[in-house]
Amino acid sequence: MQMKKRLQLLCWLLLLLPALAIAQQKNITGKVIDQNGNPVAGANISVKGTQTGTLSDAEGHFSLKVSVGATIEISFTGFRTQSFKITNETSSFNVALKEDYARLDEVVVTGLATTVKRSNAANAVAVIGAQELAGTAPAQTFDAALNGKVVGANIIANSGAPGGGTSIKLRGVTTIFGNSQPLFVVDGVIVNNTATSAGLNAVTAAAAAGNSSNQDNASNRIADLNPEDIQSVEVLKGASAASIYGAQAAAGVVIITTKRGRAGKTRFNFSQDVGFNSIIRYLGQRPLSDAIVQSQGWDVAAYDSAKAAGKLYDYEKEMYGQKGFIRDSRLSISGGNEKTTFYLAGGLRKEDGIIKRTGYANNSLRVNIDHRISDKIKLSYSSTFINSSADRGLTNNDNAGVSFGVALSSTPSFAQLFPDANGNYPNNPYAASNPLQTRDLMTNNELTNRYIGGVNLDAIIQQSNKMTTRIIARGGLDYYNLKTTAIFPSILQFEINTTKGHSIQGMTNNVNTNWAGFLVNSYKPADDLSFVTTAGLTHEYGKYDNILNVATQLIGIQTNLDQAGAINVSQFRTQYKNDGVFVQEEFAFKNYLNITAGLRFDQSTNNGDYKKYFTYPKANVAWNLSKMNFWKSKTINDLKLRVAYGESSNFPAYISRFTPLNSSNIGGYPGSLVSTTLGDGSIGSERQTELEAGVDVSVLEGRLSLEATFYNKVVKDLLMQGQVPASTGFTTKYLNAGSLRNRGVELSLKAIPFEGKNFRWTSTTNFWLNRSLITQLTIPAFPLGAFGTTLGTYFIQQGASATQIVGLNGNGGIGKLGDAEPTFQMNFLNNFTIHKNWSLRFLIHWKQGGDVINLTQLLTDLGGTSPDFDVMQSNGKTAGENRIAALGVSSKPFVQNASFVKFREIGLYYTVPYRIKNIERIQLGVSANNLFVITPYVGYDPEVSNFGVGFSSGVDVTPFPTSKRVQFHVAISF
Amino acid sequence: MKTFKFSVLLISISLLMNTACKKEPIPYLNGPTSQQITSDPTISELNNLVTGTESGMRNNIAIYLDVVSMIGREGYRFSGSEPRYTSDLLGAGNAVLDNNTFYLTNPWGSRYNTIRNAYILIQAATNSTYITDAQRKAYTGFAKTIIAYQLLLNLNLTYENGIRVDVADYNKLGPIVGLSDALTAISNLLNQGQADLTGSDVIFNLSSGFSGFNTASGLIQFNRALAARVDVYQQNWNAALTDLNASFFNLNGNFYTGINHVFSTASGDQLNPLYLPLNNTGENRLAQPSYVTDIEPGDDRINKVALRNAPATQSGLTSNYDVAIFKTNTDPVSIIRNEELILIYAEAKIQTNALTDAQTAINIIRNGHNLPNYSGPLTQSALITEMLKQRRYSLFYEGYRWIDVRRYNLLSTLPLDRPTDHIWKQFPLPFSESN
Repeated sequence: MQMKKRLQLLCWLLLLLPALAIAQQKNITGKVIDQNGNPVAGANISVKGTQTGTLSDAEGHFSLKVSVGATIEISFTGFRTQSFKITNETSSFNVALKEDYARLDEVVVTGLATTVKRSNAANAVAVIGAQELAGTAPAQTFDAALNGKVVGANIIANSGAPGGGTSIKLRGVTTIFGNSQPLFVVDGVIVNNTATSAGLNAVTAAAAAGNSSNQDNASNRIADLNPEDIQSVEVLKGASAASIYGAQAAAGVVIITTKRGRAGKTRFNFSQDVGFNSIIRYLGQRPLSDAIVQSQGWDVAAYDSAKAAGKLYDYEKEMYGQKGFIRDSRLSISGGNEKTTFYLAGGLRKEDGIIKRTGYANNSLRVNIDHRISDKIKLSYSSTFINSSADRGLTNNDNAGVSFGVALSSTPSFAQLFPDANGNYPNNPYAASNPLQTRDLMTNNELTNRYIGGVNLDAIIQQSNKMTTRIIARGGLDYYNLKTTAIFPSILQFEINTTKGHSIQGMTNNVNTNWAGFLVNSYKPADDLSFVTTAGLTHEYGKYDNILNVATQLIGIQTNLDQAGAINVSQFRTQYKNDGVFVQEEFAFKNYLNITAGLRFDQSTNNGDYKKYFTYPKANVAWNLSKMNFWKSKTINDLKLRVAYGESSNFPAYISRFTPLNSSNIGGYPGSLVSTTLGDGSIGSERQTELEAGVDVSVLEGRLSLEATFYNKVVKDLLMQGQVPASTGFTTKYLNAGSLRNRGVELSLKAIPFEGKNFRWTSTTNFWLNRSLITQLTIPAFPLGAFGTTLGTYFIQQGASATQIVGLNGNGGIGKLGDAEPTFQMNFLNNFTIHKNWSLRFLIHWKQGGDVINLTQLLTDLGGTSPDFDVMQSNGKTAGENRIAALGVSSKPFVQNASFVKFREIGLYYTVPYRIKNIERIQLGVSANNLFVITPYVGYDPEVSNFGVGFSSGVDVTPFPTSKRVQFHVAISF
Repeated sequence: MKTFKFSVLLISISLLMNTACKKEPIPYLNGPTSQQITSDPTISELNNLVTGTESGMRNNIAIYLDVVSMIGREGYRFSGSEPRYTSDLLGAGNAVLDNNTFYLTNPWGSRYNTIRNAYILIQAATNSTYITDAQRKAYTGFAKTIIAYQLLLNLNLTYENGIRVDVADYNKLGPIVGLSDALTAISNLLNQGQADLTGSDVIFNLSSGFSGFNTASGLIQFNRALAARVDVYQQNWNAALTDLNASFFNLNGNFYTGINHVFSTASGDQLNPLYLPLNNTGENRLAQPSYVTDIEPGDDRINKVALRNAPATQSGLTSNYDVAIFKTNTDPVSIIRNEELILIYAEAKIQTNALTDAQTAINIIRNGHNLPNYSGPLTQSALITEMLKQRRYSLFYEGYRWIDVRRYNLLSTLPLDRPTDHIWKQFPLPFSESN
């Protein structure tokens, strides 16, 4: 291996470098305060160019041994970094930090082991801090906490089901059949984000007719993370920033850093949230009359008698009307000394859903330890154990009439569904199931036990005036066991005469491990010149094993798998190994010019040729004009031009190399039946190239700053499951075919519109839009991701938007009816500080445009329960009649505008302005999520995805309705 | 100290590099692959392919029968969440048959998937060194018979729009051929299957659906029964009579003797997807009302439907009767049975003007269903009408009526349930075939 030799050579060269010089040392002390004069605890005081440093204590005090002539830097997250030159006279000083509202000194990643200040960064990296993530109105899960906060992202919650399930697409769709979700990295550990189906299809038959995809509404596993543990989230949105992660980074990378301990007094933070959630809005009920009941072919006598007896029910409210109780308790303890610091946190969250017997619980424990073996060697350990449980009900599409929504869609208010005094539920004559019975007796639970742990070793192996060499070794493990349990007792209306009960139990074991080693050499030949060289190796391994048991003909009320007359077992396993080699050079000149170039080589067992290395180059330039000598402007404090280019890819799915034969038995004999998807032994990765350019400007002492970014992202060799003539015996085949392009604009405006003694208003406004285009398609255009052209479908076609929706156009043809891509999105994040102690924050998210295929309304129309069914329209027919008449003629009624303005988060917090004994701080608060939604969309939520996290989000088939949450908060620090 | 650290560093880097280079491909972990199974399969692998082929014939059989029965106005399929059964299939208003919707693409794709499996079986048997030539012939004869049958089912859907018959190599598909060429090709395939099976040595197991027909001679009888069906579709009346004689046709035999798809609750097996409990709500398979109004008094075939406690209604369609052919979810579904063969015999006899023979056969059917002898005129046209009526009742919801009225140009005689409904002659070619 060439690479190996070069690395070895590099090591030896580094070894021969001269030892460091010794200078005169002296002790200095000081105090760090903020702009209000309050002490800043935990500020980082470090000697520039070394790893020597300390942290300020609770009173803001610090002391440090430094050499005369050295420069010390005082930094703290959210504040501008300040530096002081230590002279012979310096012995103590006070530092007043200024808030870095434009975030110029925020550190963003540039490599797998290197960072740069934002004011010198070439990429627009979205950073979401702890406060922004969970500090306004805490969301139930991590994925939900990101929603509406990432510039350039299209984040769609699949439904309101407890336990999450969110599709995150960064800068448009980057793949059609490949992995569309970003890579998640927690403290250097690559974590798994698979969504595993609970096998509900055995009951719902959702995949039996129009679309064979899983519609089980599974949550994706990133939801397990406790948002409260997170210090910051950095989002690398495309290849130009993410190519350092090589072949797995095509959909972007989300780098999550968890909270860590600080030296000093041991601090306890306890916080308690209580609250409730409730449905955002109901679809409503159809007002009935004898004539309407008659016209629906329902039983008029039953209606009349129910009406007379006062037994007309709003089953929608009955089903979705529960106020779910929320509680969340968290305790974190952090502290340590200069050598060792720790952060311990535990969280207990329990929430009830808006449907009875649904809910979510998450118990997590985190241990993060940092230890300095010497002043040159630092060891960090991060770990979390998570136990989460989600009861998700039975929602979404089904072809058996058993999911709550599908059953309700044809059940009128005069149906009698409540159990009698003995607890026996009547059969629902208007649907295949009695949804109240189903709700009260069935179980659909996802139980996860997960461990994520990583170790990071950072050692300075050589240090001199001009050169420092570090070695960084990193290893991590993500293991989870997911137990899915879906129980449908034999007594249920749809079980009693057919399969007599289902006990569907799935067991998934997933292990991901990764390790990496880097050498980082910083060379500073002159004061205004620096080179940072990184070379490294990465390795990732993943193993997924899912066993699904479907037991039927249950014995009595037993749920054990062996207490059944019949059982069907299926298993699915995947494995991969990826290896990467990575070199990068970062060049900085006079603090204003930063140039980076890098190269990564990756191989993967998922490629047809498992030995082949794919090459991913990157290069970028950031030029900060305002840091140049000639710059004298007092108005414009910071002006930076930047351009970045990078490549990355998306590995083919494990299965795409093979044409397997699946098990298909008959008569007690084992059978092999060929899969309907044809594999390609020579399949390769899809490749993304992205060019990003931007201007960042900050004016009025940072009170107003704008970050403007334009990008052009091209994905080539798209991984496809191309449709083949069905007469081949296959439906689709795996291949690399075609290219797509995403272009977009991201604007981020941060401002302090008002700053006074007793009132301070900070505001962030983001705007982003994306346009995609299938630039080339080497296979015929094909529909995907919904239920066929009659009902509206996505349609991949050269020269068209990747997310266009086509359907019957009403004139006997097929045409474009919409596009899932929003016209633009904006968010507004505002923070008001009143009298120092009061803080009001809110986040509004506006999505303009973007269509959803709404089939819930079609189902309620066909079931005769749409609330507006009898609204007369200009042609003399009712709205319901018109929509039904369109079925098979025009798909226009199903493709609906899903624009919205969501009041996503609002929180009001009060910090008690005095100290009680040892209690440092008491904060009280009240918050709400999704307080209201303004949308023309007719449905529970314009944010919806029947098919989960894949390409085709935005299909609405009786989802779990979204809820709003109101919570009260108490936080005590001591 | 420093040297020590470097040694550690270098050793670890070398280790990393070595693991990186020593990579092995990861095989498919979830089952055999087609490449592997066709290289030199063992007998048990070949037998797995036979079983998979038999099993695969059942995939989407319910959608096929629902579709053919609805367009042929035998029944209604109501589904709470699938409106296209009642809109597109019945041609409600301006709704048309779509070329890319499940009701066509699912059964069509499953038939060709089974055909692909059968071709894999042929390739595997050809390459296997573990079997004798006589044994090889049994595998290929069985495979060709199944391929022909599967092609016929798809031709039933697209009819004059044709099908692709030359699909042995998925990389080089033959053209779409029209109705008559397709029937000829199917007939030829059956003949090749018969030739292979003749003198062959069957060493594979078939399910109880083939009980009585799981030997070489039994499979030939099955093959010829299918050939007789193809003959009447080709109007080769004399050939039909010849093929009937080589089949298990028996004028005095049990109507239900024949070959079936079987179902069970065993692992990896399927349940009868056509079964729905009586008086079910939400999901229904119902008799079109004329089945009951047109039936002769005393006909025991009334038991193929069951009066509901309450009528089922959807989208302006109402029926009081459930289809009650299947009593449990493990009841078999017929592939071909003696009752059809008797009716094929009657049809061939009518068409060859042997009217008395035809009358005898029709009376066997009538008497077998508790009806008196045929009393109508002994003319070709009257007997055709009677024969079609007996086919309608004897083969109710088994997928024939639409095909029968179509081949006798009687589609316009099918009842319309709603004033704006339409009756379809055939499906368009699936979207994927037009590329």
